[in-house]
Amino acid sequence: MSQSHRISGGLIDRTKPMHFSFNGKGMEGYAGDTLASALLANGQKLVGRSFKYHRPRGIFSAGPEEPNALVQLRTGAAQEPNTRATVAELFDGLIATSQNHRGSLEFDLLSIADLAAPFLGAGFYYKTFMWPKAFWEKLYEPMIRAAAGLGNLSMKEDPDTYDKGFLHCDFLIIGAGPSGLIAALTSARSGAQVILADEDFRFGGRLNSESFVIDGSASSDWAAQVVAELTTLPNVRLMTRTTIYGAYDHGVFGALERMTDHLKSSAGKPRQILWRIYSKRSLLCAGATERPIAFSNNDRPGIMLAGAVRSYVNRFSVVPGKNVTVFTNNDDGWRTASDLIAQGVNVRALIDVREGVNPPDLTGVEVIIGGLILDTAGRKALSSITLKNGRKISTDCLAVTGGWNPTVHLTCHQRGKPVWNEDILAFVPGGTLPAGMRVAGAANGVLGLSSIIKSTAETTIEILQDLSFKSKAAVLPVTEDEAQSCTAFWHVKESKKRAWVDLQNDVTVKDIKLSYQEGFRSVEHLKRYSTLGMATDQGKTSNIAGLAILAECSAKTIPETGTTIFRPPYTPVPIGALAGRARGKDFKPYRLTPSHLWAEANGATFVETGNWMRAQWFARAEEKGWRDSVDREVTMTRASVGICDVTTLGKIDIQGKDAAEFLNYIYTNAFLKLSVGKVRYGLMLREDGIAYDDGTTARLGENHFVMTTTTANAVLVFRKLEFARQCLWPNLDVHLISTTDGWAQFAVAGPNARNLLSKVVDAPLDLSNESFPFMACAELSVCGGTPARLFRISFSGELAYEIAVPARYGNSMMDVLMKAGAEFDAVPYGTEALGVMRIEKGHAAGNELNGQTTALNLGLGGFVSSKKDFIGKTLSQRAELNLPDAIRLVGFKAVNPSDALLAGSHFITKGEQTTMENDQGWMSSVAYSPTLGHSIGLGFIKRGHERLGEMVQMVNPAYGIEVEVEIVSPHFYDPDGVLQRG
Amino acid sequence: MAKFSLQPTPFLGGFQKDYGTVIIKEITDRAITSLALPLGFEAKAEKAIKTVLKLNLPEVGMSTQSKDGTTALLRLGKDQLFCLKNGENDGYTAHKALADKFGDNIYTTDQSDVWVSLTLSGPDSLRALERVCPIDLHPDRFGVGALARTAMEHLGTIIHRNSVAEYTLMSASSSAGSFLHAIKTSIDNVL
Repeated sequence: MSQSHRISGGLIDRTKPMHFSFNGKGMEGYAGDTLASALLANGQKLVGRSFKYHRPRGIFSAGPEEPNALVQLRTGAAQEPNTRATVAELFDGLIATSQNHRGSLEFDLLSIADLAAPFLGAGFYYKTFMWPKAFWEKLYEPMIRAAAGLGNLSMKEDPDTYDKGFLHCDFLIIGAGPSGLIAALTSARSGAQVILADEDFRFGGRLNSESFVIDGSASSDWAAQVVAELTTLPNVRLMTRTTIYGAYDHGVFGALERMTDHLKSSAGKPRQILWRIYSKRSLLCAGATERPIAFSNNDRPGIMLAGAVRSYVNRFSVVPGKNVTVFTNNDDGWRTASDLIAQGVNVRALIDVREGVNPPDLTGVEVIIGGLILDTAGRKALSSITLKNGRKISTDCLAVTGGWNPTVHLTCHQRGKPVWNEDILAFVPGGTLPAGMRVAGAANGVLGLSSIIKSTAETTIEILQDLSFKSKAAVLPVTEDEAQSCTAFWHVKESKKRAWVDLQNDVTVKDIKLSYQEGFRSVEHLKRYSTLGMATDQGKTSNIAGLAILAECSAKTIPETGTTIFRPPYTPVPIGALAGRARGKDFKPYRLTPSHLWAEANGATFVETGNWMRAQWFARAEEKGWRDSVDREVTMTRASVGICDVTTLGKIDIQGKDAAEFLNYIYTNAFLKLSVGKVRYGLMLREDGIAYDDGTTARLGENHFVMTTTTANAVLVFRKLEFARQCLWPNLDVHLISTTDGWAQFAVAGPNARNLLSKVVDAPLDLSNESFPFMACAELSVCGGTPARLFRISFSGELAYEIAVPARYGNSMMDVLMKAGAEFDAVPYGTEALGVMRIEKGHAAGNELNGQTTALNLGLGGFVSSKKDFIGKTLSQRAELNLPDAIRLVGFKAVNPSDALLAGSHFITKGEQTTMENDQGWMSSVAYSPTLGHSIGLGFIKRGHERLGEMVQMVNPAYGIEVEVEIVSPHFYDPDGVLQRG
Repeated sequence: MAKFSLQPTPFLGGFQKDYGTVIIKEITDRAITSLALPLGFEAKAEKAIKTVLKLNLPEVGMSTQSKDGTTALLRLGKDQLFCLKNGENDGYTAHKALADKFGDNIYTTDQSDVWVSLTLSGPDSLRALERVCPIDLHPDRFGVGALARTAMEHLGTIIHRNSVAEYTLMSASSSAGSFLHAIKTSIDNVL
């Protein structure tokens, strides 16, 4: 079989033969073919099996609307199922296989489902497989899923890469058919930045598929000339193989550009690019989609859309059949017959459902006016049709046309609702279109070529004027409008057998009637019950016929019945393209602390906190597990000195004459009189009175403060401060800028912290307690002149400092601190030890500031000033937040010291049942305290501060844990703060 | 004399690569100082800028630079600018010197180590940036001297057009690795 159906002419390149295989059979096509045209050229009519009944299916269309010819391309990890053969560009070495069959394509064992069709009507799985109930999940559903469906994924990692990008233009033209090309030509000459995108690999749309004449030349030649001119213009970006799949807010469009799908290998470059196109104006020139007519057994291979037959004959120089019959309700069918005759194809008959029409002279063709097809025959390919008078006509290809539907999809993406146009018997764009969008050509319901060109040029000029571009009316090419009369004829009512409406989902006329009978009156309900219009084609060829039949059932008109709203994407977008380059290690950005390299080299295990990679602990060879490392880090820090990179805490530089007043509004406690050279702890509330962040703020100068925030809330706090600055108090002279990344900051904690720092801090700074007491701060230099900042603050409860140097010195600083601390057995410690020490000290952190707790709950009521205003003050005074039995943050320890505590557990009064009603509070943080030798916890319990010494039950039903615990002070370690002040 | 000394580590190790039609280079010798104009005293601040830097205040979203190219002013907002000092290896000291000259007329903050800075130059720079930069970089709308705050691969970025085919990209220094990966991927994907 070697291109038995290839004829002369067309737009293929015969100098470039392409070898490919289908189900292992070698075939040949040419550059410029689609897989579908190449299959047809080789006489391959059977290409797949239907979704539900496993009926033999062939190629139905020549575009993205294809419901039948879904195939699997490539092999191995690169295998891609559900590809429409009609848009898959042929390349040398292409391997294609059919899908959804058990056994071979020709002898599909699951075609037995066709015999069971009476039991498999619309919604059968809701009704038929109800008993026994337990069988549904374990037997019926897996069985149905295995039998039905589309292709299979490889289940291997996608070997291709994908990318995304951003484009901007004055004018986006969607579709490069006659209207798109004339719009592009008109706008390009005005100097506007233009993007012309089309999903096809060749611009021209129907101009390449029809035998139109423009300016005395073949329409495909005219299209090529226009493209040639556009190619020379620097202000025009031509994007073939690009589908504009979605219209989003503010003139933004989603586009999928297929970069290497037409090549055997991507050669390491992205296979597809997902573009975000920002347009000032857009013109939808997406053309129209032909619709079929439903009649008995109208799904056999060889039954095709008439326009597709013209495409294969005129563009791809392929005859889908040797004896073609045309079935039509409109004048377009006549043109199909004419084109076929012109190409020397035998046209067996032209059957027009209309009475009283006079087709043009079709010499040698039997014309049957008022004819109907009642049935077809041919097991794996069409062999004959039967007319309503019982006459059989032998034919191997039936070209069917039921009229054209404007491709309105993108106009619906912002909830624009199409309106019915009685002149063309189709929905046209209506309602509110996406911002900046106009519609032209067939997509707007204009079906004659001359009218398309004229009206599109006029619309384009209006758009350009709206954009203030000077544009002149172009000299329009000379052409004619083709005959376009059509009658409302959706299906052959006399059909006795199944007549398919939706070929992809095996939805028949009967299914739609059944759905209506069962109460599904809304078109949206019909869709979901019957599956009409679902899956990869989204009903592009079936929606109108489905609506028409539903309208008949309800004795309403089609516009009264309404239409479904189209949503993005217009055609399928691979998940890989949506994911783009975000995969593996670089799935999302990561942030490294300045001492990351040092930590890596010194045995750190890292944990992700926000986007930061922080050292969690530093394991030593002799340690058997993380607890050994953490216990050691805590113990050695408390015994001598430990060092921790705390750069991740947010740092906000606040300056201005009113900076102190501003902070006074931000924090619950007073900041107005904070002395220069001092640090103060502060608590921030949300507007609703709930605590959301805390930290320290240092006053470096009269008008200069440095705020620290928690790591997790650094961005949130900055955003809220900016809001306060710009919107709440714009009259204050306050300026903010983040310096989080600019300073490498290290906590140096433990009895020898001062001794260690004394070795690196330059004179004249005196670190003695008298000169630099607890909560002091200073700008200084270290290591012989490197600028630094020093804060005497303590999260661990030890004598502690935080020393900051410009981030570029961070790695070196960690090294220096460790070397300087060697004589004190200094240890680096990670976030786990940090957490243990803060729990021992009783400091609240993210677990406690969880968005539900107030200053009162946290035991920080003393930090809430009654003398000044601050954000959240009014609502923090709500009675509900200040009830006498409000939860309070306290400490917990197990009565039996060997019992472990568990965060997330709840507290129940001893002797009471574990119920929601008896819930007293919850454990927010726990740790094993190496200092105390047992588990400790922080948590919230009603009136906790008044219940110290009381025993309660810590319960965790999820884990079946119940432990008796004692309520204690949250300050397990140095409750009087003697060490940190020492 | 101090026993210890600190060595700086460039955030990307001084990365640079020549792709032929695109060159990418980390800037490691630039001091960045944020300048904030005091509310109600903007004119005074503008005068101080002119006196100290010999530069006029550019419009928001634009920049200006000294004739010798050592100093540039980037106007990020109504009351915020970045002063870039090229050839400076010690950002904090350069900032201090500037702060001393401005006195009370302008609030200054050292930003040198907050940002990792890359230059992207060459005729294919724009094509590479299309893959990562949401900003419209057409020369009519983003000419030489223009700048904008944007996000590239979720990372906050300042993009500044230095010349017809050269851009400076500034992003957070802590995520420098991710940022470089994003830019390199963009270049790899278009060349």
